[in-house]
Amino acid sequence: MATKILSVDDSRTIRLIVGKAFRPYDVVLLEAANGEEGLAVAAREKPDLIILDVTMPVMDGVTMLTKLKEDPALKAIPVIMLTAESGRENVLQIARLGVRDYLVKPFKEDQLIEKASRCVTLEKRPVATPA
Amino acid sequence: MSQTIQVPNICEFMNRHLVDVFETMLSMKAIAVTETGVPQFDERVTGSVAFAGDHINGAVYLHLSTPFAARVAAAMLGLSPEDLGEPEVNDVVGEVTNMLTGGLKSWLCDSGAECAVSTPAIIRGSSFVIEPVPQVEREWLVFDCDRNRIVVEIHVKVG
Repeated sequence: MATKILSVDDSRTIRLIVGKAFRPYDVVLLEAANGEEGLAVAAREKPDLIILDVTMPVMDGVTMLTKLKEDPALKAIPVIMLTAESGRENVLQIARLGVRDYLVKPFKEDQLIEKASRCVTLEKRPVATPA
Repeated sequence: MSQTIQVPNICEFMNRHLVDVFETMLSMKAIAVTETGVPQFDERVTGSVAFAGDHINGAVYLHLSTPFAARVAAAMLGLSPEDLGEPEVNDVVGEVTNMLTGGLKSWLCDSGAECAVSTPAIIRGSSFVIEPVPQVEREWLVFDCDRNRIVVEIHVKVG
């Protein structure tokens, strides 16, 4: 069964980049544009991994993560935080929230794959061969 | 503040950070160049993100010509420029500006000047000028990227 990964980011660009990174793998990518939508998708789809932005309108990533960790049905889902801010305080705050890992923008796609593969099994999509 | 933030230090940081962002996200090599006077622009896409704190405030503007903005968006999304519309190009320019300002924010915070950043905004056109408010310093940083020009305009007020 394909691995379900939820990308929560208000930037469509980042969601597309995340999707592009996982394209070679047997992954179903779910998307949400803010924390509120992200919680709803997480509750409905029970993803295997969440890639979560920090700064978003409506509900930010820190609030979403806090609510996720309060929900017994969702708290075990590993979360990788994606942030444009690499400052010491920001990183410490993220670490205290119980995330599995974090990635600072700008990032390379293979860095994301490497961190994701520490949380979930990523299998290459079968390559179609001519009959 | 744990150390004095000065405009030349901000420019020095941004000179390094822009090269890093373009290399990492776009696999594009940007080189800082010296250009005197106010840069002249053709039709362009400009991303802007503001930052504000107790000790510092200002904004970062990223100016790219319209065709080069489409190339940047295509490189970031792995698509052809012809497959992209204005919304996708705007979103990418906004995101690159967000990364530039996010990096600056981290550097400022680590230097003791806590601040917050806004969400990105986009301006398109050819005949607009961004005027800084009084007591705000303005700096232009110009880069060459495969014979395309990248201009970063920084408005900053320290103290």
